[in-house]
Amino acid sequence: MRDTPSRRVLFQVGAVVLALLVTTVVLIAAKAPPLAAFANIVQGAFGSWDVTSNVLVAWVPLLLVTSGLLLTFTVGLWNIGIEGQIILGGIFATWALRVYGSSGMSPTVVLILAFVAGMVGGSLWAMLAGALKTFGGVNEIFGGLGLNFVATALNIWLIFGPWKRPGVASMSGTLPFDQRLWMPTVTPQSMLSVPTVIIAVAAIAIVYLMIQGTYFGLRLKAVGKNAKAAYILGIPTWQHMMASFALCGLFAGVAGAVQVTAVYHRLIPSISSGYGYLGLMVAMLINYKAAFAAPVALFFAALNVGSIQLPIVLRLDSSLAGVLQGTLVLFVLLGHGVRQRVLKKPQVVS
Amino acid sequence: MLVELRDIDKTFGKVRANAAISLRIPPASIQGVLGENGAGKSTLMKILSGFYTPDSGEILLDGKAVQIHSPADAIRHGIGMLHQDPLDFPPMKILDDFILGRQGGLFPNHRAASREFRELAGQFGFALDPEAYVDSLTVGERQQLEILRLLWLGARVLIFDEPTTGISLPQKVKLFDTLKKLAAEGMTILFVSHKLEDVESLCTSAAVLRQGELVGAAEPPFDTRLLVEMMFGKELPLAPKKTAVPGGKILSVKSVSIEGVRLQIRGVDLDVRSGEVIGLAGMEGSGQSLFLGACAGLTQPVGGSFCLDEDERDMTGRSHLEFKKRGVAYLPAARLEQGLVPGLTLTEHFVLSEGLGGLFVDRKKAEALAKERISTFNIKGTPESVVEALSGGNQQRALLALMRPRLTLILVEHPTRGLDIESTIYIWSKLKERCEQGTAIVFISSDLDEILQYSDRVLVFFAGQVSPPLRAESLSVERLGALIGGKDWENLPKEAVNA
Amino acid sequence: MRKTMVLVLLLTLTAAVGVFAQSAPPAAGSNLTIGLVMVGPYNDHGWSEANYDGLQYVLAKVPGTKLVYIDKANSSDRPGTTVSQLGESLVAQGAKMVIFSSDDMTDEAIKFAKAHPDIFVILTSGDQQWKEGKNYQPLPNMINIMGKVEYMKMVAGFAAAMTTKTGKIGFLGPLINDETRRLASSAYLGARYAWVHYRHRSVDSLKFKVTWIGFWFNIPGVTSDPTQVADDFFNSGYDVVISGIDTTEAVAEAAKFSAQGKKVWAIPYDYKNAIEEGKGVSLGVPYFNWGPAYVNAAKAAMDGTWVNHFEWNGPYWKNINDPDKSAVGFNKGTLTREVSEDVDRFVGQMARGLDLWEGPLYLQDGTEYLKSGQKATDQQIWYLPQLLKGMEGQSVSK
Ligand SMILES: Nc1ncnc2c1ncn2[C@@H]1O[C@H](COP(=O)(O)OP(=O)(O)OP(=O)(O)O)[C@@H](O)[C@H]1O
Ligand SMILES: [Mg+2]
Repeated sequence: MRDTPSRRVLFQVGAVVLALLVTTVVLIAAKAPPLAAFANIVQGAFGSWDVTSNVLVAWVPLLLVTSGLLLTFTVGLWNIGIEGQIILGGIFATWALRVYGSSGMSPTVVLILAFVAGMVGGSLWAMLAGALKTFGGVNEIFGGLGLNFVATALNIWLIFGPWKRPGVASMSGTLPFDQRLWMPTVTPQSMLSVPTVIIAVAAIAIVYLMIQGTYFGLRLKAVGKNAKAAYILGIPTWQHMMASFALCGLFAGVAGAVQVTAVYHRLIPSISSGYGYLGLMVAMLINYKAAFAAPVALFFAALNVGSIQLPIVLRLDSSLAGVLQGTLVLFVLLGHGVRQRVLKKPQVVS
Repeated sequence: MLVELRDIDKTFGKVRANAAISLRIPPASIQGVLGENGAGKSTLMKILSGFYTPDSGEILLDGKAVQIHSPADAIRHGIGMLHQDPLDFPPMKILDDFILGRQGGLFPNHRAASREFRELAGQFGFALDPEAYVDSLTVGERQQLEILRLLWLGARVLIFDEPTTGISLPQKVKLFDTLKKLAAEGMTILFVSHKLEDVESLCTSAAVLRQGELVGAAEPPFDTRLLVEMMFGKELPLAPKKTAVPGGKILSVKSVSIEGVRLQIRGVDLDVRSGEVIGLAGMEGSGQSLFLGACAGLTQPVGGSFCLDEDERDMTGRSHLEFKKRGVAYLPAARLEQGLVPGLTLTEHFVLSEGLGGLFVDRKKAEALAKERISTFNIKGTPESVVEALSGGNQQRALLALMRPRLTLILVEHPTRGLDIESTIYIWSKLKERCEQGTAIVFISSDLDEILQYSDRVLVFFAGQVSPPLRAESLSVERLGALIGGKDWENLPKEAVNA
Repeated sequence: MRKTMVLVLLLTLTAAVGVFAQSAPPAAGSNLTIGLVMVGPYNDHGWSEANYDGLQYVLAKVPGTKLVYIDKANSSDRPGTTVSQLGESLVAQGAKMVIFSSDDMTDEAIKFAKAHPDIFVILTSGDQQWKEGKNYQPLPNMINIMGKVEYMKMVAGFAAAMTTKTGKIGFLGPLINDETRRLASSAYLGARYAWVHYRHRSVDSLKFKVTWIGFWFNIPGVTSDPTQVADDFFNSGYDVVISGIDTTEAVAEAAKFSAQGKKVWAIPYDYKNAIEEGKGVSLGVPYFNWGPAYVNAAKAAMDGTWVNHFEWNGPYWKNINDPDKSAVGFNKGTLTREVSEDVDRFVGQMARGLDLWEGPLYLQDGTEYLKSGQKATDQQIWYLPQLLKGMEGQSVSK
């Protein structure tokens, strides 16, 4: 058999079907009606404009994070530290809001400052992981995991320490910011903020262009596929790794700033919402192809939001969404492997 | 074992790599397979060894039709293949690599395996330390390891895809002896090569492929001219040797000492002048790769200095990228490991190596560049071909095509490794053109003829010892062969003074 | 003139619209789906389960009600969600009334109530709808409900002081705020009363120490470890530990020490059946009985009598464990017969008017809190600024 685009789609679809099957088996084992469960997820994600706007709210940071991760994946790095980078983005954005929020500057300026601060925070944290790898020889996966722990601890320390609510520390986070400093939303009750959607779409577009069309992207690709050869071809390798870390951290930082300014309006202990790890899954699922990032991230966001219905309606744990996402990634990766064994790649004419 | 291939067909996209090839190889014989670059030799061998499945046609072993779906399948049928670019598991110990792939047994018996490894290696005179790591081996040594491994796994049909390109004359002699011995014991051996003299001295019959088709066969005694004609459709005259008129200083190596993993090089002095070609001769792993890498700034010396250009700019301790900026190009032997980036297309390679500025890649310009290089270097491939889809020889051409237009110094390992005769001649003509423009070349080759044919001066390496520069005219193949084997070094200094 | 008329008309109209917008949602009618948002697991044997049980009570008592709930509504357990969003998903399941049952949900509950004026909202343990409170922020669709568990903390303190052999009582506190200060102080008042009036010892010989862990439950690396704090108490001679946190480490540690032959006890909190986990070491548990209050709220929502307000419900003194009438109770555990009788006697005294929130009372720093004979107002109790004199431990978080 030859590997053609249509067969590739077949494999992808097959993976999705298998993942659904496994999830169904899990559901049956949990004595839950599978169809009702899936129907509830769909209903919970697209049943009304309210829930759909919630899906978009989750989509924005997820897409931002995925965009960043595509860059680190391109250069051959596993930026597990992405969670910490989101957190630092959130912390820096909060810091900016605390410092400039009452300075009399216009809210727009303050919010822009918060986003810039978030970028700086995420970027710095990512470069720390990069420096550990480049200069300390610490594998980015371990370094990243360590930095995630540190970031979480730092965040909680801030919330329960210097930035706690007057008199009372609270797990629900710092005191909400003044309403002036909330990102504008579509309607007052919605959390969906159009500017953040625009930022996220711009992010993935930039990354797409960067990888497809720029020298920088091409160099990243070369380093990712063969660092030794790339170096001999004249590409400064560690500098490119650092740059991709910094850029990825920047996008993660924006995601953190979005969480703080548009979703929670305060800094909360789990400000990253696990979007970093979810983003890793999305990136793997789309086989690191930027073109598919937006729809697949939307799908994951929908699963996350839709599955909130499960505990309410079916008394099921909403981690079912996680099961589905996890098996999906697993099967798609498996599918890649099988495809490479079964189908031969078509090659360019010589 | 009797191996029969019947009407084997294999197409890649629009390329018909094998077209209805039928070949019958009796046991206890050595079948030579010849053909220009991209003729389809490797493809045919990969089909026999389970890497590819043919589009149509069948394979018979001892008269029985068999289906070979994977290399593991092949080895179960007793077919082992030594690849053109040896596949291995770099960060492992040699012994572990050796043991890998053997069936059965949860816990490999290391002691027994180690003993068998040493015995086998001894038979061939291969000096491989089972405790060393595979990634510290040269290309030639990796091939040795692969040979041992396949034999140990019980292969009765052995396929060698250009095995002699990386190893030196004495090792080659030893290898050939062993192959003959193996054939005498009833083994079936397929031997792909571009070196006619190898085929002539070794094979019991030869098949010639051209553009995917079997175009001829020959039995000993072979007629070299006929073989060349079958391969290329014409005769190939060798260009007359030209001696360069050396110009200004390009590279000064001053009492440089280098420490490698397994050997040390002490106090090398060398001045390379513009237009000059320096050949580095020696058995695989004698220090020449280490030295060449150091000249490129890839390995830092522990003593001495490297200076570039007439003004003797000190480059000691600088990175390769800085050497590169000053017009030094380095072309490594491990093409797909160090030289090229699998997954990227030819166009992308050229774009990268040219280091064009700007934010966005100018697609039109890039494609024009690729087309020009592809035609200049006669690469069989399109701008969109990913490099791993190119045949071995074409990968080598691609590597050479990556050199930027104006260079002061070209450092190259095995420049014609895997190239057919025609291409070898062509590539050297290209390199010599560069010399005429003032570029100097330092190259490594295990082919002593190539060293003597193309270099002006020669440095001989033996276990880290380095001879003074010797004039190529003053050397013969026999003399050089003795030197790289460590003999006859007593008389060297005197000659060096003459050099 | 004409112009003025138009203007007045316009103004009235806007006002009317304003009033309309400001009014509580319309009556829900004969059917009401209630949404419950719980901070912990619905079966946590603590605060959340007490709320859950309260709603089971509503379902049994009020025909036409239905329950949809979501538990573990905190951003660690449900990353990416906000509490108001969870409230919305309950609304999507038909909820017309949503109960946010934790102090930690205050911001989100207010956000939700503002965004959904057509939904009845209960913020349990909040004070936003208390006209006389400090945080008054009227929202027509919101009510606050809280139980006067202070009395039951007094009973807990009483039982502790009657049981202690060493005269040292530990209080395992969560974080420091108005609520936790008044609860710890109530326990102290009960203990002091037992010590002086029942055991006839001097006030000064009673040691009552509060150690705050920093949150309602253990968060490794953030809070002090409650297990460790309980151990420290028991190891330094405190033989009764009163728990003010939402989890049951104190009871577990008491059981462990007691298994090693030490005579120690503990008192859990929140949930009526929490004593079952520490048979033999639990002296009893001060608990909330949310059912009756939630029934009232549900009925108000159904028949259109909903008015935003704050309620702080006391015990039904005739029978503090009456499931239909008492908002708070004390479920006795392992008590000696004498202590058990004394506890009943003490409850009887309070029922007849004994008020321990009566002067003279001094704050921890010595300033006068209540003059002799002065009774504390609800506001004074709710917003207690410090621990009381005689208690050891931090009054204000640094
Ligand atoms: N995996 C592949 N995908 C696409 N085309 C391929 C692939 N392998 C080989 N080809 C094409 O098939 C043809 C034959 O290639 P093959 O490697 O068999 O040549 P060869 O005779 O071994 O040449 P060389 O002497 O250069 O090694 C070439 O045109 C090559 O580009
Ligand atoms: Mg080949």
